[in-house]
Amino acid sequence: MRPRRPTLFFSFAATAAAMEAERLCRAAGQPGRLVPVPRQITAGCGLAWMASPEDGEALRAFFKAEGLEYEGCHLIEF
Amino acid sequence: MITVNALGDACPLPVVKTLNAIKGLRSPDTVETLVDNPTAVENLRRLALSKGWSFSSEKRGEAEYRVLLGAEAGAESSGEAPACYAPPVRKRTVVAVTADHMGEGDPKLGRTLLKGFLFALGQQEELPAAILFYNGGAFLTCEGSESLEDLKALEGRGVEILSCGTCLNFYGLSEKLRVGGVTNMYSIVEKLAGADLVLRP
Repeated sequence: MRPRRPTLFFSFAATAAAMEAERLCRAAGQPGRLVPVPRQITAGCGLAWMASPEDGEALRAFFKAEGLEYEGCHLIEF
Repeated sequence: MITVNALGDACPLPVVKTLNAIKGLRSPDTVETLVDNPTAVENLRRLALSKGWSFSSEKRGEAEYRVLLGAEAGAESSGEAPACYAPPVRKRTVVAVTADHMGEGDPKLGRTLLKGFLFALGQQEELPAAILFYNGGAFLTCEGSESLEDLKALEGRGVEILSCGTCLNFYGLSEKLRVGGVTNMYSIVEKLAGADLVLRP
């Protein structure tokens, strides 16, 4: 069993939005990466931006500033 | 519910103890058996299957499994000694990455999907024996690939990462390989032919 730790996932309503989030985060050097949504989260399009919980605040602000709507923000053991 | 503690017991004891507990039942009940190895879980599963009882199991620790059998009362022993089964042999799975994208359609989406596939592959309990990268797949193991970290982690856990040398050469990537080794067509044929299961994303 691999070790699990609290991890933050931003889910998106549309795949295109998730891919756009990746593009914007990359360009701005925001922490995290685009991954398939874990099974525990049923929301969203199937892709999510995964990041450390401590980066959550900054990412929320970044998405807001960029006008990028995410569907949900989930903290789970992953 | 009755609990049978079969921790530390070798086959066929967990099955024998469970059967004895079930024999003592006056009415249908759930029997919980605690065992410490997956073979015992498999043996209990087969017992349940042969008797038509419900079965569920749960891994509770490094060496602790909880098996629940929904048993009928006073089940008779068939008289035969319960058989011991070896745990199922692990399948030899080989993943063939044949392009820089997953599925046909939008190429950008396809690249995102393949990246997600390789990430998810690393989250599985059972890892493939090898991942082969050929034709456009060779881009995944080279400089600029967004899957390098995932592939290095897989390699670190014993998965063989192999890229087709002919392909690296064709795409001018020979100097840019960043994870795994280089292989040739003989070895690719051997690995594919020797696999029990080939996954092609």
